[in-house]
Parts: sequence; C-alpha cells; structure tokens
Amino acid sequence: MFGWTGTILNIDLSSRAAWREDLSVELLHAYLGGRGLGVRLMRGFHALDPFDPVMPLIFAVGPLCGTSAPTAARLTVVSRSPLTGTIYDCSAGGRFAWRLKGLGVDALRLSGRSETPVTLVVTAGGVEFVDVPELWGQTVPETVAALSGRGSVAAIGPAGENGVLFANIMMGEGNSVGRGGLGAVMGAKGLKAVVVNGDIPVAVADRERFDRARQDVMRLFRASPVIFGELGIAEYGTPALVDLMRQRRMAPTENFRHTVFEGSANYSGPAIRSAYQAKKDGCYGCPIQCKKSTPRGEHLPEYETVSHFGALNGIASLDVIVKSNTLCNELGMDTISAAATLSAWGEVRGRFPGGEEVQRLLVDTALRRGDGELLSLGSRRAARALGRPELSMEVKGLELPAYDPRGAYGMALAYCTSNRGGCHLRAYPISHEILRKPVATDRFSFSGKARIIAIAEDTNAAIDSLVACKFSFFGATLEEYAELLSAATGTEYTPQSLKEIGRRICLTERFYNCANGFDVKDDCLPARFFAEPGSSGEGVDIPPIDRGRFDEELQKYYRIRGLTPAGTFADPDFLLTQP
Amino acid sequence: MRDQVSVYTNKLIADRSAHAQGIAIAAQDDVLIAGGAPDLARLAGDVLSRLTCLGMVVACPSLPFADFLVARAPAGESCIVPRDTETRTFLHDIPFLRRSDLGADPAPVIARLLGSRKGVVVEGVGIVASGALTVEQAYINYSSVFHSTFVKYLQDVLHHGFILPGEAEAFAAFRSQWLRPLTDEGLAFRSGPLAERDEILDEIATVGRYTVERGLVDSFFGNISCRAGEVIYISQTAASLDSLAGCIDPVPTDNSSTFGITASSELLAHRRIYEATGAATILHGHPKFAVIMSMECAEEGCAITDCWKECDRVRFLGDTPVVAGEIGAGGLARRVPPAIAGPRKAVVYGHGVFTVGETDFADAFRALVSVENWCRGEYFRRLEERLG
Repeated sequence: MFGWTGTILNIDLSSRAAWREDLSVELLHAYLGGRGLGVRLMRGFHALDPFDPVMPLIFAVGPLCGTSAPTAARLTVVSRSPLTGTIYDCSAGGRFAWRLKGLGVDALRLSGRSETPVTLVVTAGGVEFVDVPELWGQTVPETVAALSGRGSVAAIGPAGENGVLFANIMMGEGNSVGRGGLGAVMGAKGLKAVVVNGDIPVAVADRERFDRARQDVMRLFRASPVIFGELGIAEYGTPALVDLMRQRRMAPTENFRHTVFEGSANYSGPAIRSAYQAKKDGCYGCPIQCKKSTPRGEHLPEYETVSHFGALNGIASLDVIVKSNTLCNELGMDTISAAATLSAWGEVRGRFPGGEEVQRLLVDTALRRGDGELLSLGSRRAARALGRPELSMEVKGLELPAYDPRGAYGMALAYCTSNRGGCHLRAYPISHEILRKPVATDRFSFSGKARIIAIAEDTNAAIDSLVACKFSFFGATLEEYAELLSAATGTEYTPQSLKEIGRRICLTERFYNCANGFDVKDDCLPARFFAEPGSSGEGVDIPPIDRGRFDEELQKYYRIRGLTPAGTFADPDFLLTQP
Repeated sequence: MRDQVSVYTNKLIADRSAHAQGIAIAAQDDVLIAGGAPDLARLAGDVLSRLTCLGMVVACPSLPFADFLVARAPAGESCIVPRDTETRTFLHDIPFLRRSDLGADPAPVIARLLGSRKGVVVEGVGIVASGALTVEQAYINYSSVFHSTFVKYLQDVLHHGFILPGEAEAFAAFRSQWLRPLTDEGLAFRSGPLAERDEILDEIATVGRYTVERGLVDSFFGNISCRAGEVIYISQTAASLDSLAGCIDPVPTDNSSTFGITASSELLAHRRIYEATGAATILHGHPKFAVIMSMECAEEGCAITDCWKECDRVRFLGDTPVVAGEIGAGGLARRVPPAIAGPRKAVVYGHGVFTVGETDFADAFRALVSVENWCRGEYFRRLEERLG
C-alpha cells in the first residue's frame, strides 16, 4: 500500500490490551486520514459522554505524513469535546505524527480508563503500559523530559489531569492539540502520556510526480506574501497579524467591548522579535517555520494568544503575555479559551485581571482551586454561574478567537456554522476577507458568504484529513496537494474529489452534533455583536452586525448543505448513505 | 450576485479578451444563476452545478489562438503547457477538449477537467474558467488562460510558423485589427515629487488604471508603488490595477509594522529596487510581447534546464536587461535590482517588466510602453524573418 499503512492500533486502557486491525481501503479512500478518518471512526460513539470510559480518543495521521510533502508531518486528534459537547478534532505538528506513522499505523484508537496513571509507549518492539504515578501532577515539560528518551511524546499537564474543560494535549516539541479540552478526555482515561517511536518509511507510488508537485507547492509558498513575504509568518510568526488586525479595527478588546487596543504595538511581530531575539522554529519538516522561540528555546506566543492575553484583557505588557503563554503550555491549557474565560470573568466582576494576577489565576485554573474552579469550566459555564451568560463570548461553548466578527462577516457566519464551535479555522475566511487569498472578498458584505463558507469548510476538512497545515493554503491550493496525494498513494484525486470528501466529513460531523441536540439555536453569535458597535475610526466604520441579514445567510447555508431550516437533517438515516 | 455577472461581463468586453456576444457567467449561492449568451449560459450553469465552486465564466476569446493551439496539438495530447511564469506558477497546464471529445452534453466532461484545473479550453466553444470562491476569481482565471494561450501561440508561431488553414489570415487580422498602437498619449501624470499621502494614493490608482486601459497588464497581474520618505505605498496582493482605491498599503521601510503583510508579493523586490536606484516610483506589468521575447534565448548547449529560476546571465532585449527569478521570495528580488539600476528598466524571464520613475510615474510609464513596443517590433521582425 502506498501512502497509507492500512492499519489501526487499538488500545484498551481498562484491560491494558493492544491489537492491530486492518482499515479498509474503501474507508481510507473515502475519508483520507486525520480528521476525516477520526470522525468516521467516531460513528456509534458520538453520543457518549466525553468522559465515558468507552469514548474513543483517536490519533490519526494522513497519507502524506512521513513523506516530504510540505507541512504534512501532522496528525489530528478526534473525540467528543467536554467543553462544547460537539464532535471535536484538532490538528497538531511536531515529530509525534511522523513517529506514529513510522509504527506502520494510520491511527491509534484509545479507549477505556486506567485505574492508575499510565503512560503508553509504542515502539517497533510492541506496546508497553508504563505506570507513572511519579509523573501525575508534573508539568508538560517535566513529563516530556522524563519520557523523551523513549520517543516522541504527547502528554497532558495538570490541567488535563484535573479535568479542565479546555485542557490541551501537548506535543513534546511544544505543539498543542488545543481548544476543545481533549486533554481532559485523556486525563479521564488516566493516561498521562503517549510515546511513539517508529521509523518505517512511507512508500510513495510515483516519486518523480511527487517531486514535481512538491516543487509546485514550494514555488507558490515563495510567491505568497503571507508565507514567505518579508512581513509574513515565516519572518514574524502569526503575530504578524497583530498590526493588521489593529489597522482593520477588528482586534477583540476587553471581552469584545471594543475592537481596537492602543497597546497592541507592544506585542506585534516586530516588537516580539526585538524584545526576545525571536528565532525561527516550527513543526517537524515544515519549510515555513512560523513558530518563534527565544534563543534558549522558550516558545513565543501565537497571534491569538498575544491578542487575547493582551487586548482582550486590556494587558499591554509583552512580558506578562509571554509568561502567560508559557504557563499555559506548561500546565497544558488552551491559551485562547483560558484568556477569553478570564476576560469574561473580568467583565462580570468589573475589572480585568492584570500582571501577576493572570498567572496566579492560570495556575488556580489548572489546579481547580479558588476562583480557578469556576474558570476551569470555560466562559459559558462561568458566566452562567455568575448570572451574566450574555458576557460569555463563544459559540457552542467554544470561546471566540481574536478576529472580531463585526469586522468580517464571513467570519461571523463561519464561527456559527463551525462544527466544533466558535473556531476561526474551519472555514478560515480571514484568508480571503483580510489576507486576500486566494482572492479578496468584501469583509463587510454577506453576499455569497454562505456558499463561500460551505466551500471553504469542505476544503479545510480535506486539508485536515491529509493532514496538512492550513497556512500552506495561503500559497498553494488543493490542485497541488491533490497532485501530491495522487503521486503518494497511486490513487487519483482532484481538488473536486477532495472537496467532496470534505463535504462528507463536514456533514458527518454535523449529523453527530444534531444527534446530540444541536440545531439552529446553537448556530448564533453572542447578542453583543448584533447590538453593540465595534471601535469605528480612521475611516473604518464597525457597526453591529445586521441580525436579519445574518439569519438570512445562515438559512442559505442550510439550504446549500441540504439541511432543514432548523439546521438539522431531514433524513435520519444519513449516516447509512455514507461509506 | 447578479451585479457580479454584469460587472465581469463588462470587464471581459472592456479588456477585449472575449467577444461581446459570446460571454456567459454563472454563479451559485443557495440558487444558481447564469446570464449572458443563452447557449453559453446554459453550459456555464450545467458545468457549475457539478462543481464545488461559486463562479464560472464561459466565453469565446476575441482571438482564435486557444483553438489554434488545440488544433496544432498532436493527437494524444490533452493539455497545453505555456511557459510563462503565470502558467508555471498558478495554472501549471491548461487542459483542452477537442470538438470530438464533447458529445451531446459537454458539461460533464468539462466539469471533470475543471475539477482539476482552474481553466480549460474547449475547442469551438472557448475558455471555461471556474472561481472557487468568487465570480471575480473565475474572471481572473479566464484572463490568465487568455494571457497564457496568447503567449504560447505567438511563441509557437515564431518557432514553427503557420500550420493550419486560415491561421495566417487570422494572425494578419490580429496584427492589423486587434493590436492597437501602444502609447502614453492622452494620459496625464502628476508631476513629482509626490509627497502627500492622499496625492500618492490617488496617483497610484490612476496610473494603475492606465496600465490596464493600455493593455500593459492583465488586470490582476502586476503591481505599482511609490516611495515617499520612509514609506512605500504599494498595491495589495491580488489587487486589480484598474481598481486600486482602498487596495494600497503604506509600508514603513524599516519594517516596524507588519500590516503590509497584504502588500504585493513583490514588496521585497520594490524595496530592493528603491535601494538600488534611488527612484521614487516603480511599475511592474506583464505586457505580452515582453513576456514572449524574454523567453527567446539564443543560447545553445546551455546546461541550465530551469531558466525561470536558475539562469544567472543578464541578456538584453534592445537596451533592456533580462534576468531570471521567480516571484516573491523566488529570486526576482535579488536579480532585478542590480540589473535595473543603470537602465531604469528590466525584464524578468517569462514574467514581465519593471520600470522606475525618478520623481513620478510619467517616466516609468513611458519606459514600460517603450519596452513593450520594442518587444512587439522585434517579435514581428523575427517572425517576418522566419516566414521569409
């Protein structure tokens, strides 16, 4: 088999059993890998409670992982989110994916619950269940340091152990499986870490064709100002967006009360480079290297993190922001949700946290003590508990990232149609509404956005299943990646066939969510965005979003998706029609 | 969305890339709409409904070159491979369908090809191009295919002459009727130095429009900038040069801000050209004859196979230097500045022309016109020489 291995490794943590199974070629062709494969494997488990021992936690790589396809040394982790209740997936880089594929598997499916803290070590020699009581309670770096001699590590920190609803799974190189709290799912299984160490090479069907396609991708990377431009993410990392969001007046500030933060220049890309002598860093084998770190290896924050620990909480100190980021990474917590929850909590109490208070609250959150007990539940539950549910800025319980929807109407719609809640990455309209890729669209218009969002969701579902980094698509397109995939697997794919696969994945996710009670009532933004303007000025007007127009476009989206006006499926047997 | 159909139909007419009576555009949101020539509109809708795309242009090109390329292609070939940079970077190749491939309902087979590529040539019908996210994108892809097939056909004719019945006559009509004298006559330029922000933004938008109106760029290719003090005002990436209002980024020369991340992919080249020349303005267009002639290399036995990227020689088209270098971070920004410093103009292999102005855009525009006119003249001189 080319590209894929055709094998899944199952682990039952309750019985400490491990066994391999074949994955059908039909399934791999129809779902590719990564997100698609993981979502398909969730069928039948999707209505379980996220903390049910039977709930699977799936690590899935893609057919391009292990090849030299740019940005494809990634994996996706899939389960059901304890934060949102939705089906959940997150893509992450690092060496782990490559080492997992090197074990001759396309996916690792974990289920069950260990009575005592355990680490799973998978090597060519087999599967080992290692009791690690001494690691329980340790931070992510401490855990990684203890285990890295055995291979690549994916671990949880105290946040995951304690069931923080936005706990991450952290990769040993600093990448995170973030947002939806899959670290808490892992913690509920008593699983502190997974270590993998395979090195079986991946067979490529047509090496010459593959190399040609790879050159095409690299040419497009070099032609992209966002990727390799002198002001792009390869130079400054995603904080390159700080100045742009300020200029577009859509930087969420003080829990989305405003959209301009005058202190944002303190944590812009150039400011971070200057203050920390930032150097290029990034995922294994990635030519872009968009992550940035200090000379001694401390990971510096991404755009969403600097903006949310900065503007969203009214903090202008870069030092405080960097420390908060580091702390979240060590404790194994999502930075966007952590910062947004603090911000909502801050608005409720009438004062945003600052300086050292932020760091104390982050530790308390991970350890679920004091105010941290409430904060560990995320902004929706915290705001409700405090009697101010309207101050939680999320969709489906997932805290909104650092793109104010009043400044980009496609983003407003995409937050709501996203199957994992208020996420910018499902349809990623920032690409065309702000960054002008592949073409510019009018950010203050809903015209055509329903179709655009549906197409982009399908496209990105395919990308997440390859698994490639979305940043690649600031330059390359599915044309070049379909060529890479065809060359790698020997099976012909086209951009159109990949988008059809993406559609299948998106609809499957939506079906799972509907089965769990989600419908049109959950596809909506917080009321603030329809009632309050953003920060207009400098010739840019940021009015509230027109609710009527938003609802109209949402209904268009449902029609395009073949859904009912309630956003649900008319056919209860939809899944049976899918491979 | 209906307004988009009208806007891009008018653009296709204005840029003379399609026959006014042979244009159809389709778009789908929650419903599919199609307008234009009835048969083509039906085809556009039928193709689009089979694809995960928003927009579709089906149009009969104003020149028969794409059809000639199909007819000249050996049996068994199924795509055209123009060698210009735009094709190499963004299109890769252009699939085609012969009349005999179409059958009673051509929509499925066209849709199958468009499932892999941005545009296809359908013999006897025209160019069919899709736009994944917008109608504008379909227009851009149509424009790209038109540009690429133009360049490819003229190169082929230069190398192999006319082969098909009617080619010579069509080519003569192209030369005498479609081509127009290229001048800067009637255009007004602000005299430099340009210093005020609003004045600069307005002048960039005006000159950008001139470059499109005079056929020096296809509307989405090319870029333009002006330096004033410590700021470079430059057109944004994927900006239509005839519609630049609101699409110009002021970028600090010291990189103290990154909001210019949306600036043209050639920002670095512009910066380096300013450093090398001390000029005040830069124009970069893709005039067709300069693109064609830049790829006419007389070198024999050269070991270099990737001429776009690896050639380190400086050749000349008249007194204009030609250098290699790919877009963005691909080497263009390294090779153009030293070449342009003396002559104030340079051509990039397979790509286009850079010119500079000392205080305003008048010199830069005249130089761009001059380079293209020289290349146009040289092309026909060589063609006549070849045809005897």
